[in-house]
Amino acid sequence: MKTEKIYSAGIDIGTSTTKMVVSSLLLKNVAGLTHVPRIEIIEKTILHQSPIIRTPFINKEVIDMEKIEQFIFQQYELAGIAPADIATGAIIITGESATKQNASEVIHAIANTAGHFLVATAGPDLEGIIAAKGAGTLQQSKNTAKVIANIDIGGGTANIAVMQFGEVIGTCTLHIGGRLIEFHHGVVQSISSPIRKLMDTWPDPLSVGDAAEDKRVIRCMEEMVDTLAMTLSGQLTDERHPLLLGHLPSWDKPIDAIMFSGGVAACLYENDCSERQYDDIGEKLAKMLLQHEQLQSFLWLKPQETSRATVTGAGTQTTEISGATIQVNADVLPLKNVPVITCHMASPLEEVEHVVKTAVERADTLFSIQENRSPFALYFSHLPYLSFQDVHRLCEVILQQLAAKSSKEMPIIIVMQSDYAKVIGQTIQALHRTVPIICIDQIKVETGDYIDIGEVLPSGVVPVVVKTLAFHSK
Amino acid sequence: MNEQLVSMITQLVMEKMGGSTVTDAPKNTVTPSEKSKEKLSKLDETAGNVAHEMPTAAPNDTLIKLYNHASHTQQQSYEPSFGEPADRIAPITTFQFEDDNVSESVQAARKHTPARIGVGRAGTRPKTKTWLKFRLDHAAAVDAVYGEVTDNLLKQLNVFQVTTRVTNKEEYITRPDLGRRLSDESKALIQAKCQNNPQVQIIISNGLSASAIETNIQDVYLALQQSLSNLNIDIGTTFYIDKGRVALMDEIGELLQAEVVVYLIGERPGLVSAESMSAYLCYKPRFGTVEADRMVISNIHKGGIPPLEAGAYLGTVVEKILQYKASGVGLVAKES
Repeated sequence: MKTEKIYSAGIDIGTSTTKMVVSSLLLKNVAGLTHVPRIEIIEKTILHQSPIIRTPFINKEVIDMEKIEQFIFQQYELAGIAPADIATGAIIITGESATKQNASEVIHAIANTAGHFLVATAGPDLEGIIAAKGAGTLQQSKNTAKVIANIDIGGGTANIAVMQFGEVIGTCTLHIGGRLIEFHHGVVQSISSPIRKLMDTWPDPLSVGDAAEDKRVIRCMEEMVDTLAMTLSGQLTDERHPLLLGHLPSWDKPIDAIMFSGGVAACLYENDCSERQYDDIGEKLAKMLLQHEQLQSFLWLKPQETSRATVTGAGTQTTEISGATIQVNADVLPLKNVPVITCHMASPLEEVEHVVKTAVERADTLFSIQENRSPFALYFSHLPYLSFQDVHRLCEVILQQLAAKSSKEMPIIIVMQSDYAKVIGQTIQALHRTVPIICIDQIKVETGDYIDIGEVLPSGVVPVVVKTLAFHSK
Repeated sequence: MNEQLVSMITQLVMEKMGGSTVTDAPKNTVTPSEKSKEKLSKLDETAGNVAHEMPTAAPNDTLIKLYNHASHTQQQSYEPSFGEPADRIAPITTFQFEDDNVSESVQAARKHTPARIGVGRAGTRPKTKTWLKFRLDHAAAVDAVYGEVTDNLLKQLNVFQVTTRVTNKEEYITRPDLGRRLSDESKALIQAKCQNNPQVQIIISNGLSASAIETNIQDVYLALQQSLSNLNIDIGTTFYIDKGRVALMDEIGELLQAEVVVYLIGERPGLVSAESMSAYLCYKPRFGTVEADRMVISNIHKGGIPPLEAGAYLGTVVEKILQYKASGVGLVAKES
């Protein structure tokens, strides 16, 4: 059977390091000859791994975009692949870098220049999930039926993603990282703000200029590791814990096994920190994790990737392939950074009008800045079993709400998980010949997610990246 | 497995285990309860949906309720077969199936297959619940073969009916050759009623599963029609064939000189689904067309390829056949 090869890139701009991978994805129709085709990614090959460089900054608050771009184009050259050949992939800005002034600008600009279809992503939950996929935790959880937590500890944050049976069942992000306290010539050079907050209640907090060997440094690290252990064992319930970034842990099953990735993890498993040549707490933090008593109660698993987990995940695991029976207006693709609004369809079909109307109104208030309307996607979740009449009714409602507002810049974008895209797309086309429509299925998204849809591939499917764009502030 | 064999083996086992345990036997006789949470599987609903055959079974019936019909006679026939004196029978307590207590990993695995996995066992045989469900699915399959498509449905679809040279179901099953030819009256009827030289001729037959047509045809047919009309492809006069075989499309292709024939036909039912439908497609089927030139989209049913999506997809397949002027192996060769 014929296969199809596309090139994918992954770029990770982290708190302390930046790295990149170029890989190829092999697509194939995996359905039987007598079935409707189903195109899946059957092979992922990493073609080129960049060295790990320090994330360049112009000053403390501004990332040096030019240097990053230079680095990326240099890596493309080494890989022997032109940016224009990159049909999919993701650039992710992680940890503390995501809090910098020009974080959003940087990743969107790079996404536009560094590949034909490269997707800008950010957000602590997504970061954890991408790292877990890159480290191989997702695959492990499929193989073992254990509840496994992947903890990606980088320079600025520890992103936890918990998986079972190959599905993410929860996430949490903590301010735990190797570069939260930095040293220079044996004295403390910088302390990041979450750590300062942590020391708020201390009578005598650590400050810049204190000795690197100060006991309070150890105490800070102990706090970090204790908080991590508490989080993993489900004891973290204080929403305002200074080390918590965002929401409380969102999984509800006890964790069986843990796996570490990220820069700090490289010191955990290889017992060799040569890759990390930074004067900070990273190395000591790794040692402390290894010795922590409560953490020993979990089963420790070894990841496939440590420092490169996130970038590998971004390069090989972010792309999904839509169903093969879809309806798309090829000339409005690719579409980038499309926000998603969910139409929850669990209620009886009689209420469809109300559900769609509310969703469209919400989208209008959320995503249109003054007169400048931007496209959004309607995600139909929990679609019941539909008859032809049901589909007609649904499509009439959709057109009623959106037809008048749509244009080539504002196509009707419909996403769903169940296999109805072709018939819904065709029905809309039958009811309204000219309206531009993108209707794809076999994709799962949630409100708050963004979706990027690539150009139609020869097999008739489109690559899709479901992502978040959350730049947390300090 | 037949019932007699089951009871015979059970008796043998009981004798081997010694007289004392025989008293347990009556408890195995199922007394139905409506408390069981287990709903009928999709297939079971099928049986219910064929309303003209089983008017008492509403689609929402539980497994147990259905069993209620038979419980009376079954108890009578079971008890004597164990050959027990009446005074040793324990008082009949309300029976309840034990809760489905499977591990999370079995539950996760079940999501990926409709096969009967993780059903447990009782000694060397399946549990009663599993066994009943198997019997029910088997019965649904048999019903599908022997069922008929209702006139009402044909009226709704606005199609007329023709027959093959087969006279009854037994003959249909034993004489495939007769199912591949139209009766003389039908030939005349088709010539009188149908548009000649259509781009696409759609035909429908119950084939080996009337329930496949009953449940899926409307959605597939309407979606296919819409898809073809979106693509500006002209459709001939659709009709329904009672007891047709796939290769009958050759004679119809010859008769109407159709460019493409789309043949929607009920598949041989299985234990996973009795309502699975296939769409056979062929470019210019004529007498002497070889099987390699036919192509099929199979497994069209609720649990397989959704009927609506199948119909929408079929339109694009027809478009491709018309474009390459080939189907089956010929199309694959031309495409690559």
